Amino acid sequence: MSVKADQRGSEIKPSEFSDAHGYIAPIPNGTGPRSNPIGNFPTGPEIGEPLPDVVALNKNGELIDLHTDRKGMNAVLVFTRSAVW
Amino acid sequence: MVAFNKADIRLYVLSYDSHKAIANFSKTHKITFTMLSDPDSKVIKDFGILNTLIPEDAHPWFGIPFPGAYIVNNEGIITEKIFENIHHARPGPEQLLAAAQGERFSVEPTLSPTEDVDVDVAFHGDSLPTGITREIVATIRVPEGKHIYSEPVPEGLVAASIELDNNPGIVAYTPIQPKTSPLTLTGSDTTLQVYKGNTILRLPVAQNGQLIEKTAEGNFVTVSGKVHWQTCDDKECDLPESVDFEFHIKVGALITPELSWDLFKLVTDISNKKPHQKVILVVAYQAFRISKLYKKLVQDH
Repeated sequence: MSVKADQRGSEIKPSEFSDAHGYIAPIPNGTGPRSNPIGNFPTGPEIGEPLPDVVALNKNGELIDLHTDRKGMNAVLVFTRSAVW
Repeated sequence: MVAFNKADIRLYVLSYDSHKAIANFSKTHKITFTMLSDPDSKVIKDFGILNTLIPEDAHPWFGIPFPGAYIVNNEGIITEKIFENIHHARPGPEQLLAAAQGERFSVEPTLSPTEDVDVDVAFHGDSLPTGITREIVATIRVPEGKHIYSEPVPEGLVAASIELDNNPGIVAYTPIQPKTSPLTLTGSDTTLQVYKGNTILRLPVAQNGQLIEKTAEGNFVTVSGKVHWQTCDDKECDLPESVDFEFHIKVGALITPELSWDLFKLVTDISNKKPHQKVILVVAYQAFRISKLYKKLVQDH
């Protein structure tokens, strides 16, 4: 799948760039952390499929296997950008 | 989070940050859900959702996902996904919880044939901080023997929808609609998609910070619009109808990472060659925050 960057928007004043939805940030839309796709983009496994294995570190640096950790409970898994910026 | 625990739903939030970074965030904001660290973006790549618009040498941005959420049942099967093109706002907890509880499309028993269509519109949540989506929920109770239409409809019919008034401060996301049933019109080959029984339409919305109303009671945004529908039975249609809604919603506070846009502003201010003195002041003000990013760069290499 070829993914295209959403570069719509304009510089409204120096260091202030508005995107197509009116969000204003100091860097142009379509670059760095403002690299949002326009049109189709991959969203991973589909509804009805098993959630693939998720093995990652917890805050203490220990490896967690999501499917073992949820102990047969329903779960929500959110993929997010960063907790630092 | 209490609501998630009460509903026996586990919440995981995964990012490419180091485990030390998530420990820091977790401690600062007293986080009680499980934050996961995927420093090499292995899980993100395995899922096939690495943001490939960012080149590999674009540090520190490379390695982030196209953000989204998966809802998983007790057997580990994905029952729903929430992915949006607009990355400025993330789904609010109410949205995730409703999805995990399978409530998003729930339909109550139908009304008796004599009753008219009845519509309720509600805003799901108590605030709308910049950066969080929350839903407008329209419940349309369709009497037995009647139906309303889903998009697309031929000219002359009106599909059920939630339409926002023109407000540059409010951003609409992808509408969430229940499953439709096919209906072939008598004497024609046209098959339309219809809703029967009680129908719940949802429209996630966010606000971009441009039209916040500042009052003595705090900051508010107004979300207003109309819910449209047209009721038909097998023989004839009623006239299209609509109902107005208007919600004044508290903006509320948002938990944000420490660096956020301030750092980017600093970088662009410098690159735009702002007066030297101003840059020095900004640098002093931002020194602590930059040290955090530096720490991240060092950790990652």
